[in-house]
Amino acid sequence: MIGTLLFYGLYPLARYLTGRASDAPKKGLPPAAIDGTAVWDGGAVTTRKFTQSQTTLLDQQVNPSSGSKRETKERMKAQSPVKEDCKRPDTIKEQLMAVLQRETTFSQVQSAVKEGEAEMQEAQQQIKVEALKKEDAEIDHDVFCTKQNIEDGTDIATEDVSPEQALGAQFESLQKEESIPTITCQVQEKTQIPSIQESVTLAENGVQYTTYPVIPAEESVEYTIHPVEEQIQSLEESVTPAEPSIQETTPSVQEQIQIPRAEDLVTDTESAAESAECWDEYLALNDGARNSDLVFASLLANTQNIAYSGQHDTETGWHFPAGPGLADEVQCPLWQFPAVSYYPPAELTVPFEVIWRVWEELDESATAAKPALIPFPSTKASMDFTVMSYNILAQDLLEANQELYVHCPLEVLDWSYRCSLLLQEIEKWAPDVLCLQEVQENHYHEQLYPVLTQMGYTCVYKRRTGTKTDGCATCYRSSCFSMVSVTPLEFFRPNMELLNRHNVGIVMLLRPMVPQGSEVKAKGPLLCVANTHLLFNPRRGDVKLAQLAIMLAEIHSVVKSCKAKGEHCNVILCGDFNSVPYMPLYQFITTGELYFQGLPAWMISGQEDLSHKAIFHRLFAPLWPGDLGVSDSCQYVTVEDTNESQSRVPGMRQYSHDFLLRLRYCPHAFIPPDMQLIPGVTDHTPVIEFVSHRFRHTISHRLDLESVYKHILPGSGNSEVTTLHSEMGATVDYIFYSPKRILPFNQKAGDDSKSNGLKLISCLSLLSEDVLWSMKGLPNHIFPSDHLSLLAKFQLDLHAA
Amino acid sequence: MNNKFDALKDDDSGDHDQDQGSPKDGEKEKTEDEDKEQSISKKKMVVPGAGEHPLQYNYSFWYSRRTPGRPASTQSYEQNIKQIGSFASVEQFWRFYSHMIRPGDLTGHSDFHLFKEGIKPMWEDDANKMGGKWIIRLRKGLASRCWENLILAMLGEQFMVGEEICGAVVSVRFQEDIISIWNKTASDQSTTARIRDTLRRVLNLPPNTIMEYKTHTDSIKAWEDFHGLVNASGGR
Repeated sequence: MIGTLLFYGLYPLARYLTGRASDAPKKGLPPAAIDGTAVWDGGAVTTRKFTQSQTTLLDQQVNPSSGSKRETKERMKAQSPVKEDCKRPDTIKEQLMAVLQRETTFSQVQSAVKEGEAEMQEAQQQIKVEALKKEDAEIDHDVFCTKQNIEDGTDIATEDVSPEQALGAQFESLQKEESIPTITCQVQEKTQIPSIQESVTLAENGVQYTTYPVIPAEESVEYTIHPVEEQIQSLEESVTPAEPSIQETTPSVQEQIQIPRAEDLVTDTESAAESAECWDEYLALNDGARNSDLVFASLLANTQNIAYSGQHDTETGWHFPAGPGLADEVQCPLWQFPAVSYYPPAELTVPFEVIWRVWEELDESATAAKPALIPFPSTKASMDFTVMSYNILAQDLLEANQELYVHCPLEVLDWSYRCSLLLQEIEKWAPDVLCLQEVQENHYHEQLYPVLTQMGYTCVYKRRTGTKTDGCATCYRSSCFSMVSVTPLEFFRPNMELLNRHNVGIVMLLRPMVPQGSEVKAKGPLLCVANTHLLFNPRRGDVKLAQLAIMLAEIHSVVKSCKAKGEHCNVILCGDFNSVPYMPLYQFITTGELYFQGLPAWMISGQEDLSHKAIFHRLFAPLWPGDLGVSDSCQYVTVEDTNESQSRVPGMRQYSHDFLLRLRYCPHAFIPPDMQLIPGVTDHTPVIEFVSHRFRHTISHRLDLESVYKHILPGSGNSEVTTLHSEMGATVDYIFYSPKRILPFNQKAGDDSKSNGLKLISCLSLLSEDVLWSMKGLPNHIFPSDHLSLLAKFQLDLHAA
Repeated sequence: MNNKFDALKDDDSGDHDQDQGSPKDGEKEKTEDEDKEQSISKKKMVVPGAGEHPLQYNYSFWYSRRTPGRPASTQSYEQNIKQIGSFASVEQFWRFYSHMIRPGDLTGHSDFHLFKEGIKPMWEDDANKMGGKWIIRLRKGLASRCWENLILAMLGEQFMVGEEICGAVVSVRFQEDIISIWNKTASDQSTTARIRDTLRRVLNLPPNTIMEYKTHTDSIKAWEDFHGLVNASGGR
């Protein structure tokens, strides 16, 4: 909670500083700041409007009746114990001498920011919310190089209402602390540092945050945020004196990061400059940067239990794309500021593109387990791997449904163009396991398969039955995995009305390849990767459930056969499920159970609300016919069961007692028309008799599955979408995985590393619908499909039992 | 079976998208008025609806109730027994069964019969005249459950005696209830033994339950002796 609030606070802070920094040079005014008051008004064309709209929205949202910003902030303060502590610096300082200095510094930086507060209040007075986006876009267009980027930026900025709110609260509380004005000079100095000509995308809480190019100082100002963040981190440590490890941790944080000191302005500026320096370093040493990131994460890990809810997100870094392709992307580390340097001015000469999607860290303890502080054993105990699920939009389907893509320029609908973008995207993210849907057969053989093979993937393709030309493909990096088995699944069943649709899936069993000494061996716990594309038809939730049941039954049988050999098998189930979050089909996957009796079929997937229809089909037991061979616990009916329910004598229609009972209240249990009415004998009203557990209106499965994505963008609170076309945007694609469940009790220290399951480390952030519309919808010049790719990074314990 | 039914089935299976809520037509072709007058053997036979689980044989439900105060006779028995309806699939069976009162809730001297279509629940029927039945007497309160278990075993072909089974009866009496299962050949001891064992298994009967096999010839004789009607009824 606290962590989230703090980050919400920091995000707009960063945004604010950046915006301001970019304004000043734009107007040709020297940036100036005087103790806690805003002097930048001359340059605040764009930014101020952002601020204005944000604060206004904020007030409306949080406190619609009074509209008083101050009140809002008071509330925020009350919610945050950290901030309350900030108001009583004396006590804290006494308690925690070790972090005293940084706390002071924190206040310094915040005081610099205080001017932002003042300005926001100013801006609030002239409330003009409407049409801000467009205005901004136009203004920006004159100044900056590409309109599109700015539009995007504007869009994003206006989303961020709630962070702004938190920011205000933080400012407020910090104003009460002693403020040392000199820090503003630091900002000033840095604004004079010219920046690189590229745009900066800052991922904060996984939300894209676009800053503008060509602005000197912008970059360095952004860096100043990081010391602040560090201090907040350490502050969090400090306000929780109960944690014994704080005393140990904080000095090391100091050493590693060289947090600026309050009494030493020079150091302060230095540290800011250091941050600039690491830019260079990172360009040279990508991996090194990542390590340092991890080191810091490990230091933070101690605080995790205290102030962070598990949701707390950190930034992996920034992406600085260069050139029209996405491949030239570079990253900048967060936490390392090793040296001092100033940048020479640089001209914007190369056109740039914004990276829209960034890694979103989800598990700090996972990264904390790795850092160099802990001496490593000679063999690695875990392995990280990434999984991508991507509906790439078959060209035949695109052409068959052109009305869905009328918003797209023709060139982005061209297959060869989309194909090259697609392959670039795959190459960039380089997933270890790749699950594709809507792969057109000829495109697979002619283009995708050759290139993917060259990239080091082994691929399995399953075309849909029937006349549709597309299908699913599951690929894995041969250097990471070896294939144990693969089962292509067809959901089509002749003579079975419920399953007359031509959807398919692939269930693959993989064994991780682990380097052992000089050679690579197939080793480690098995991984079952299931990839499918369920029926689209929004009205036929019953069909989707039946298709899913076949999929789950196959996964069950794979897991079961592993278990029979004494091995645990982790599960990843991904693909396009044509169902939206939290609706019955989704709930069934994630909770393992669904009471379906009487549910309208359209509601299962929830793609469209069809409740207005006069007639809609409802679900009744049994959901699927018994001769499908799948039980209502989504497992294949075993041989013994089969013997009971099916013929022992050839040609004999034998049914077991249980099987007959399962058909008991079939959907057609109306009075047979030819039934003789005998009063008191055949006019019995059917009663739902819960005779035994055998009679169920529930389907279930025993796979423990959780969605990688949480369907809400962490920063803005907007819904994520995985697909968008002219009619709708929604989440319909998922990566489900069998998570590592750590029991809070009964756990010895060593058990943690041996527990089964996958640890989710991070995922590639999704986007919201309005951001995608700001890019003119999907597909576009960046994303080649009407779906976005889903990408998750997992950690696998190699010594798991 | 015949063209009309085939056509109906095709209609059904052709309609994919929205048809699940629509009635299945398995018993539509069962007749209304005209067939009531006709004998059972001439009656059109029911067929399973599309997507339903067909049974090995078609069956008919019957109901009989002794008219109070009047002496039973063959004639009155046949008049008192009513056919409730016929079915060909598991689903159709449940449709009938779910609208029928449970035997345990029946009042008076009444019976439910479930016989293969074309076999009358009478000793005199061609299929029955050489046959016999296993009888299990139940204390009150058990009939509903036992009856359901018995007919599910019969419909699901659990007895494994080929075509030997003719039908089953539950008789509600004043102080006890009786269930029985009829087979064709009373003299076939391996068949009757097999039926007995299956009954024990499917009804989950306690080991000391008394099971009695009675040939229909004996039943007729006993009945005639009891009623003293050997001559009076003219050959019954």
